[in-house]
Amino acid sequence: MTRLDGGHVDRTRALRFTFDGKRYTGHSGDTLASALMANGVRLVGRSFKYHRPRGIFSAGSEEPNALVTIGTGARAEPNSRATVVELHEGLAATSQNRWPSLGFDALQVNDLLSPFFAAGFYYKTFMQPAEFWEKLYEPMIRRAAGLGKLSMLPDPDAYGRGFLHCDLLVIGAGPAGLAASLTAARAGAEVVLADEDFALGGRLLAETHTLDDDDATAWIAATEAELRSLPNVRVLSRTTVFGTYDHGVFGAVERVGDHLPRPQTVRQTLWRITAKRSILAAGAIERHIPFAGNDRPGILLGGALRAYANRWSVTPQASETDRVAIFTSTDDGHRTALDLMAKGVPILAVIDPREDAPRLGNYPLRKGAVVSGAKGGRKGLSSIEITEGGRSDWFECAVLGVSGGWNPNVHLASHHRGRPEWSEADAQFLPPSELPPGMSVAGAAAGQGSTHGALASGAEAAKAALGLDTLPELPRAEDAPSRGMALWHVPGRGRAWVDFQNDVTVKDIALAHKENMRSVEHLKRWTTLGMATDQGKTANVTALAVMAELTGKTIPQTGTTVFRPPYTPVALGVLGGGDTGAHFRPRRLTPTHPWAKAQGAEFVEVGQWMRAQYFPQEGETHWRESVDREVLAVRSGVGLCDVTTLGKIDVQGKDAGEFLNRVYANMMGTLKVGRVRYGLMLRADGFLYDDGTCARMAEDHYVVTTTTANAGLVYRQMEFARQCLWPDLDVQLISTTDAWAQIAVAGPNSRALLERVVDGFDLSTESFPFMACADLTVCDGLRARLFRISFSGEHAYEIAVPARFGNAMMDRLMSLGQDLGATPYGTEALAVLRIEKGHAAGAELNGQTTAQMLGLGRMISRKKDSIGAVLSRREGLEADTRRLVGLQSVDPSQKIPAGAHLFTAGEARDLNTDQGWVTSACWSPHVEGHIALGFLAGGDGRMGEEVIAANPLEGQEVAVRVVSAHFFDPEGDRLRA
Amino acid sequence: MLIPHPLLGLRDAQEFTYLGDASLMSPPPSDDPEALERHVHLRDNPAGLLRELWFHEQGDRSWLVVTRDTRTHEILGAELATDIRREGAR
Amino acid sequence: MPDLSPLCALGAFDSRSERFGALRLTEVPDLGLVSIALRKGAEAPAPFGLALPGPGAWAEGATASALWTGPGQWLLELPGQGAADVVGLVAPEAPGCSLTEQTDGWACIEITSTAGAAPLEALRERLVNLAPGTLAPGHGTRTILHHMSVLVIRRAPDRLAVLGMRSAADSLWHALSETAARLETQE
Repeated sequence: MTRLDGGHVDRTRALRFTFDGKRYTGHSGDTLASALMANGVRLVGRSFKYHRPRGIFSAGSEEPNALVTIGTGARAEPNSRATVVELHEGLAATSQNRWPSLGFDALQVNDLLSPFFAAGFYYKTFMQPAEFWEKLYEPMIRRAAGLGKLSMLPDPDAYGRGFLHCDLLVIGAGPAGLAASLTAARAGAEVVLADEDFALGGRLLAETHTLDDDDATAWIAATEAELRSLPNVRVLSRTTVFGTYDHGVFGAVERVGDHLPRPQTVRQTLWRITAKRSILAAGAIERHIPFAGNDRPGILLGGALRAYANRWSVTPQASETDRVAIFTSTDDGHRTALDLMAKGVPILAVIDPREDAPRLGNYPLRKGAVVSGAKGGRKGLSSIEITEGGRSDWFECAVLGVSGGWNPNVHLASHHRGRPEWSEADAQFLPPSELPPGMSVAGAAAGQGSTHGALASGAEAAKAALGLDTLPELPRAEDAPSRGMALWHVPGRGRAWVDFQNDVTVKDIALAHKENMRSVEHLKRWTTLGMATDQGKTANVTALAVMAELTGKTIPQTGTTVFRPPYTPVALGVLGGGDTGAHFRPRRLTPTHPWAKAQGAEFVEVGQWMRAQYFPQEGETHWRESVDREVLAVRSGVGLCDVTTLGKIDVQGKDAGEFLNRVYANMMGTLKVGRVRYGLMLRADGFLYDDGTCARMAEDHYVVTTTTANAGLVYRQMEFARQCLWPDLDVQLISTTDAWAQIAVAGPNSRALLERVVDGFDLSTESFPFMACADLTVCDGLRARLFRISFSGEHAYEIAVPARFGNAMMDRLMSLGQDLGATPYGTEALAVLRIEKGHAAGAELNGQTTAQMLGLGRMISRKKDSIGAVLSRREGLEADTRRLVGLQSVDPSQKIPAGAHLFTAGEARDLNTDQGWVTSACWSPHVEGHIALGFLAGGDGRMGEEVIAANPLEGQEVAVRVVSAHFFDPEGDRLRA
Repeated sequence: MLIPHPLLGLRDAQEFTYLGDASLMSPPPSDDPEALERHVHLRDNPAGLLRELWFHEQGDRSWLVVTRDTRTHEILGAELATDIRREGAR
Repeated sequence: MPDLSPLCALGAFDSRSERFGALRLTEVPDLGLVSIALRKGAEAPAPFGLALPGPGAWAEGATASALWTGPGQWLLELPGQGAADVVGLVAPEAPGCSLTEQTDGWACIEITSTAGAAPLEALRERLVNLAPGTLAPGHGTRTILHHMSVLVIRRAPDRLAVLGMRSAADSLWHALSETAARLETQE
């Protein structure tokens, strides 16, 4: 097929592309669909269920048939609609859902078996026997299912994101959208105009109408130039607004690089648009009229046929002498005939069911007639059957345009669950009267399908939205209203397709009806109507009408299904906003990270933090060797560990002590200045929330710490208490987690090491005992804070310096401590040390445990009230006898599985006999055996008993002895030394 | 969603953390464990207006009481929780 | 003077600076920061003669600048005082206030434009979901940027500062520089 005259493609720019490996040439301005059509390609895909040969059906994003894979390798994008893929040099497209080839597809046998594949087939067939589902049915269905195939390779492209704020968002750049934008822009409003097409103009590009006696493209060009020149206007072409969210927030995808031959820095951008007002000017989608055999390649929407001829100068004819017919129930189809005739295309007939159909030109007109059948091979349509007054005849025909009226594109107006409203006069679903707040609808989307109506309603909508007094002068346009009747399907025996992509026919709807699927929602699920990637854009309204006819209800009584975002499919990559791999989420580094990296530390993710897990040394072949060495170094010399990640909150104010009394379960107000206290925080329901230390730096100044995981949550909870519970207390909070580098210095030599860095500060136990804290200086005048606290059970300190000095501080302590055995340790050794000491951590504070279970019930002060205190004394919690205990493998070489449940030896392993569970487990170099912490029923009274730690899921069973949770230094002599 | 912050104007809901019913601000006296129990565990779930707590975590760290229609997500107002709490105390 | 060598937030001894077309990103290592919170019933002070700004605003003074960070709360910026005991410096200037040293809590990245406001506006709309007026010159706020909590301050039409958690400085630099680089290639 050669090109017709005219159109909006640039014939001076040829673009080479391939389809199923075969080479073709198109032009700049083509879509893949128009270029395939120009090259005489009529068969472009296979349908989902029956593998029927299919051709191009539409000229827009509603396309149900022409789904292809664009690109190759990792960049292959399946299920791309050829009708909206902008052609570029080197584009490689592949057909889908066929094997071995598009022309010969083995699974077209499904079509012959179609009597077995009727509506509800899956539900009926794969129910019995039940055990067949997993082994046979599901794998079988999965193999046959789906259209395009994913590459299964990582997406190599980058995606961007952005946020736009405007007074007015205009969706669609057809006549209504352009008029609305112009009106708002000239009034000085901040305007965003978005259109999914690469060229502005919408339907005007597909028509031959004149504006002010000139070609409409002149007005489009002038309008676009003006809009783009204004600083208050943002024009986003190639941008699909896919969702209407709450309060004027919209989601949109801009295809930044998809139309360019080489991959771009950013492939697509996700825009989140916040608009005070919005105008939906998304146009309308034409509906077809189901008749027997109506899915042959060569049969397409009449408006699309006109668009291909006018905008892209092509038709789906195989040769220019092929005859084209129009089957239309409205005046609109007659216009298609006129436009085609003007381009020299031979017209077989215009077939119009109306007895009073108008004649708009000199073409053969069959009034009161319908198309009742179509024949053809896989190359497409060869003849059609016309039925008139009970008589049917076949005619040779290669192309048929079908026009059944237009459905306003109300999707984005209905995302807030407002249901479209049926207008009997227009035979259309109009936008819901309950629109999303701030939205109005204009142009064909509001049922104003004429050019004049679109221009005027667009301008009026902008005027009303922004409260303007004047309208800009709009160009004069033809205003012939298109009249018509609704013809929902042509009755007959053959299969008449309603939903092309999912192969749903009029018969399937009738069957669903017979099987009592009366609600549209049931119809949809029983037949899969509208559930394909096109979401039934060309099918749903017709199906509802057919359903209404079957039930004897009206269309409004039948109702519509719910519209949900996205309007068209959106790549998951762009929704992710482009953050992948190492940048998937923010990464927080501790102040000593550079030093630890230089030491060859292994790192572990702890929330967002990267922490040193252990520091392997030469000759160590297993992580346990490193960890055991680090643990023993702390117990015998001195170890250093970056503990900056613990949350730090500065609490100040006259009432800081009283505030902390109410937030912590134990008493904090009585803490002396210069002292630290371990604190427990409860949830409102009395369970444990978090633990940490509370240091009183001054009368009105505390520094509290939280666990790493809860730093943000505890701060939020404390702000809640400050603002919502006790706003009259004088207290101020601020997080200082990142400001201070904090290093744990632990082990018998810790004091000796710190004495080498402090500036004349007395570290003796008399002046700085266990649980003391102080502001001081180190290394010749550096501000620092020192806390004598211990997580490891050793004589230990934590020293804090401004974060920028953390790395140097660590380096200094290491070099000064060589003779003292200074050794860096990571989170693994930290965990072993605290398990040996029986200190609780995240696994023990998991939201299901109480202070009493930890053996700390007495810490909940009765002298005052605090969050959760009263409910912690609930009967049910008080009666809980489970207690934190130590567990030691009877065979020391046997590992204790963390998470295992505890059972009395000799009893069954089920919920009724469950005695508790293992929270934390490790190899203890101190005990020289595997140890664990866990909660055990009646734990306090079961010391010495042998119980079973079992993990029935993996068949693990370990005999463990119940011991004190304090494996190490139970009297705390080491701490206080 | 957009939250009309009383000091900072309309801000995107992504900046906020949601807690729930504003009655959480008013715990009953601690000598009434049964009332406390109800306060902690029971919530109304009205189809209609609900006063609820939002924390402007990625903003000014204010706790707000937002009045929202749960049927439409329409927001009828937002106030600083401290203001409401202080007024309530008077 | 302590005999320890400090590191910049991005982990090197020297601060980082990189140009992307009209935009330059520079890590500022010597900005002293103190948070000021009013105690109950206290009058707002005027540290170093600076009138503390109201909600959403940032005020610049000769010695110090201040960003409103919450009701009765400000972040005071003291350029060039990164190594100082800033609480000690500010205490006499802000009687009746709770002060907390914040210098090392933040990584400060200044972004300047050699082509006026436009490149900064383009960067802004790709980084933060704020209405343009929220970041007009003399305004600033805490917000979220690539899942990170940040303070953004529009110091002038051609100057924008982004302060992020010091520990996340690398991620912040990545987000800012990648976005700036993409804008440069699109120009």
